[in-house]
Order: sequence, then C-alpha cells, then structure tokens
Amino acid sequence: MSLSVLIADDSKLARRNVVRSLPLEVDFAVTEVTNGQEAVSLLADNTYSLVLLDLTMPKLDGIDVLERLQALENMPNVVVISADFQPEKQRVVKELGAKFFLRKPLKKEDLTAVLSELGYL
Amino acid sequence: MTTSSQLSEEQRDVLQELLNISMGQAANSLALMLDTRIDISIPEISAVTPNQLYDLLFETGDLSYTRQSFMRDIHGEVISIISYSGLSEIGALMDYDQPLSEEDTQEIILELSNILAGACLSGLSEQLKLTTNLNMPLLFQPDKASFDGLPWQHSLAMEVQFLITISSFSMRVIFCLDDESLSRILGTLDVYLK
Repeated sequence: MSLSVLIADDSKLARRNVVRSLPLEVDFAVTEVTNGQEAVSLLADNTYSLVLLDLTMPKLDGIDVLERLQALENMPNVVVISADFQPEKQRVVKELGAKFFLRKPLKKEDLTAVLSELGYL
Repeated sequence: MTTSSQLSEEQRDVLQELLNISMGQAANSLALMLDTRIDISIPEISAVTPNQLYDLLFETGDLSYTRQSFMRDIHGEVISIISYSGLSEIGALMDYDQPLSEEDTQEIILELSNILAGACLSGLSEQLKLTTNLNMPLLFQPDKASFDGLPWQHSLAMEVQFLITISSFSMRVIFCLDDESLSRILGTLDVYLK
C-alpha cells in the first residue's frame, strides 16, 4: 500500500527537491499544495500519513496550518522543512506537534533519517 | 542582453526560494544576536526602472535608508529601509544605553543593515556559487535625483521584509542588480532548473 504524503510549499523548486529526496524504497502517493489554506482544506477532508510542511507560505503560513491541525482527531505526522530555522521557530512548531524540523536546502540524508525515525523505512 | 522583465516564472520561483533560504540565515543571525524572534516575509521579485524603484522605496513615515554596493562576480546595490520606530527596543537588546544618542542610533541602523543585507547576499552568493564583496553601508536620503543617477536602467528588485515581534521595528532589504549581473545569475540558475 502506498503512503500518502502532503507536501505544502509555495516554491516549485522546493517541492521538487522534497519529491526528489523521498527514498525510492517506499511507495509514496504525493499530493502537492502551494499554500497553507489549500493544505488545511485537504487535511480537513482527507487522511494523510505524513505532511511535509514549509513555514513561509502565502495565505496561511506553516504555523497557522499547525494551529489548525490541533482540531483534527488524528493529527498526521508533520515534518517542517523551512529556511526559517530560528531556535524560537523550531520551539514553536515542536510545541504545536511537529515531529521534526529540517533546514532548507533539504538534504536527502536528513529526510531519510527522519522518515526512518518515524518508522516508514 | 537579458533584462529582468524576461525572467521566466520558473526562474522567478528559483530566485525566490534561494532568497528565502538566505533570509532564513539572515533572520537566524539577528535572532541569535538579539535573543528574540524575527518574522520574515515571502520574498518579492520584480523588474523595476530607477523611477519605479524610487516609488517602491519611498514611503511616508519615520524611516532611515542605507545603501551598500557589492561587486566581484555580480554588481549591484542593497538598499535597506529601516523604521526608527522600535529602534530603541533593539538598542536595549543590543545593550546600548537609553535613551539612544544620535550617534548610537546611526550605529545600530548601519549594524542592522550590515547583518541582514550581508547575510542575505552571502546566502544568495553561496547557493549560486558566486563570489561577492559587500562594501560598508552608508546612510542616505532618497530623492528622485539619486535614483535617476543609478548606473542601470533596468534592475531586478528582490525585496524581503523582517519584523521583530516584540517591538514595532521593521526593515526591508532590496537588492538591485544591473543587467549584466542578472544575465550571470540567470546562467547559474540553470542548474536548479534541470
């Protein structure tokens, strides 16, 4: 069975980097969105195992998305992938339930390590 | 010659993301120095003439302006627009005596310009594998004449904004590049577009 992943990032380059960094040994069913509002809408009506979330996005940013996810019964695993890696931001996203924080530009080995920690590998 | 108006959507997307990564590094440097949280905007990239750049920069309000030229592989200028409001809180976080003297205020403005613009430029250069040297910032008063005198007719304005949560402080940084430097950057972007 494939693993449903939602990638939320306004940059096409960044989304492409994330897709390319996903390990090949897992069958990922990837959905991409370009802003936080779309992410929240999809997450309200669909079940995703994993959300790979940028912070600096239009409409709703990543922190807004995490805040809205609190209302969900089953919160998916969220990994934040952001260029804004200030200690305070990392603390806030962890407090809001994100499992891991990865810095941009994303390194394939970092994502692999995190997916392994989450039990997908 | 390539001009900024010929920037494709894909090129704009790549530049925006590279700038976003650079801004993150810049914000982190400042956040560590001030021990506070900095909010950053989504970078905006636009093609502007000197007159349009003037309109982009000129706002009514209590603002201070600095400019810093950079050279080597690419040439251009970074213009920082800094609010006077909130500056005394920043000064306090930087351990300046209160109230700030005129000299201290100028020093803080120049220091903030140097840290944020410098980190943005070095982040961008590093990702594009370009060498750049940033000169020291200078305070300036914008007037139409100083923009008419810019050495380029078309420039790429890459605009980012930093806000500090605990005070009313805000700062915008705008990178201006000449056409030749833009061509050089666009050439190096290809690696990201493959």
